[in-house]
Amino acid sequence: MQSVLSIDNISKRYGRIQALKNVSFEVPEGCVFGILGPNGSGKTTMLGTLLNVLKSDSGSFSWFGQANKDSNRKRIGSLLETPNFYHYLSAVDNLKVTQAISGRGKRSDIDEALETVKLTERKKSKFKTYSLGMKQRLAIGAALLGNPEVLVLDEPTNGLDPVGILEMRELIKHLAKQGKTIIIASHLLDEVEKVCTHVAILKKGELLTAGAVDEVLVNEDIVEISASDISKLQQVVANIPGCLSAVLTDKLLHLKFALGTSNLEAINQYCFNNGVVLNQLTARKKSLETKFFELTNN
Amino acid sequence: MLQLLKIEWLKIKKYPAFWWMLGIVALTYPGINWFGYKLYEGTVSRHDMAGALAKSLLGNPFAFPESWHSVAYFSSFFVIIPAILVIMVITNEYNYKTHRQNVIDGWSRTEFVTSKILDVFIVTLVVTLMYLLTAGISGFMLQEGNQSNWTDQIKYVPLFMLQTFAQLSIAFMLGFLVRKAFIALGIFLFYYLIVEPTLRGLLTYFKMPDLANYLPFNISNKLIPYPQFLKRLDEDAYSKALDLINMHVIYTLLLTSALWWLCYSVYKKRDL
Repeated sequence: MQSVLSIDNISKRYGRIQALKNVSFEVPEGCVFGILGPNGSGKTTMLGTLLNVLKSDSGSFSWFGQANKDSNRKRIGSLLETPNFYHYLSAVDNLKVTQAISGRGKRSDIDEALETVKLTERKKSKFKTYSLGMKQRLAIGAALLGNPEVLVLDEPTNGLDPVGILEMRELIKHLAKQGKTIIIASHLLDEVEKVCTHVAILKKGELLTAGAVDEVLVNEDIVEISASDISKLQQVVANIPGCLSAVLTDKLLHLKFALGTSNLEAINQYCFNNGVVLNQLTARKKSLETKFFELTNN
Repeated sequence: MLQLLKIEWLKIKKYPAFWWMLGIVALTYPGINWFGYKLYEGTVSRHDMAGALAKSLLGNPFAFPESWHSVAYFSSFFVIIPAILVIMVITNEYNYKTHRQNVIDGWSRTEFVTSKILDVFIVTLVVTLMYLLTAGISGFMLQEGNQSNWTDQIKYVPLFMLQTFAQLSIAFMLGFLVRKAFIALGIFLFYYLIVEPTLRGLLTYFKMPDLANYLPFNISNKLIPYPQFLKRLDEDAYSKALDLINMHVIYTLLLTSALWWLCYSVYKKRDL
């Protein structure tokens, strides 16, 4: 798969703070790429650098396999940090400015973008009269304007109500199906886990891991089992071949095996042969939240 | 370039302060020139030799062709009004963070600064149009007989335009570097109204008046010298002031180019 974005050893320092430290990764075409990290991990600095509003101290990046050209950004719909619009202009006039600068789409596309983010009724109202959620929706509308190949969304659900968050998630899934590359920075793990195919995790400016979600999350097999006699089950599983650990939580035993070595049938058979009938047997993927805390707390 | 101009017009045409500025300029330019005309009337209405001499030698400074000069001189006092607008226009970009968004949406940093030159140019053009209207109407209304020489002093139109652009560029640079509207406005007004006039006075007091010609605002002030009637017929001083114009066109262009070069250089390097 071709890379839409290649990042090579980018570093950025603000005085004594090392905001980014030799960060490198690739964003494949057509993926939904989540950039995760706690507050202050360098997510927005990363995106700001990629969108040329911040200057990196060293390293380089390239969009679409081309050198860092200003015209590349015209092919990218972006929402960075906050919705940035002229307060005295209406939504339509603000999008006219976006359109004129980016060259994306036609005049009729403005109405379409506003319809997508449900701002048609208020399209002639001045930006300063908008609520926080409406401002955020306008920023998303501006990013979508003219159907760009790539979307860069920094905390896209900021300020949105629960319905808005759900709609945003559906919109991202819908756009991903169309083959768009979407880069999302967020600290909302649940949100990212639901939509992303790839992730990069940052902590204090350092890249901890990056890659396809399945590869990042799965570095061991987890099997959940349960039985009516949980204490006997605990004794039995202690001797299951290949089991690295068994932890009991909420009447469920979480068994860990080396990656690719767990065999549900064999586990079931082993328990049955040892006089325990299982009432639950599930192979589990590690949640992004678990993985995230595992990586960022070390 | 035309595309940048169109985009800036999109931004500026619905900015209320732009129309307020236009309204205030439309009121103040005729107002200050009416005041100047009254000064002239005071000079020529004196029932002595000087009054009669002034009237016969100078003609009416608010009739063609002198109106181009006199109206430019009096109108230039009010550069403060468009300067406030120029400072607001650039500091708004910082305040709304649209200076970042414009770059995110695809402009280069050079294009952003060029678009701001165009903003200053648009404001200069509007102010020059107001001056043209005032000078034209004044010249036309006060003309006596058929004045075929009405274009004799028309060189003051480009000189007024250059002076306005140069002084608004200083205001722009302050807003651009300081980023905060009220601080930039405060510095501009303090320097324009207090610091530079004081320096001019001090340099004159210490017998170095020529040095005062090189103060940032005075460099372009010298493009439009005092109208002759204000010099009370001091022919030498007036012709010396006229002689300075050509050199000051060059100085003004150099200073203004240096200011914009500084803006380009700073913007290319700094984080937005």
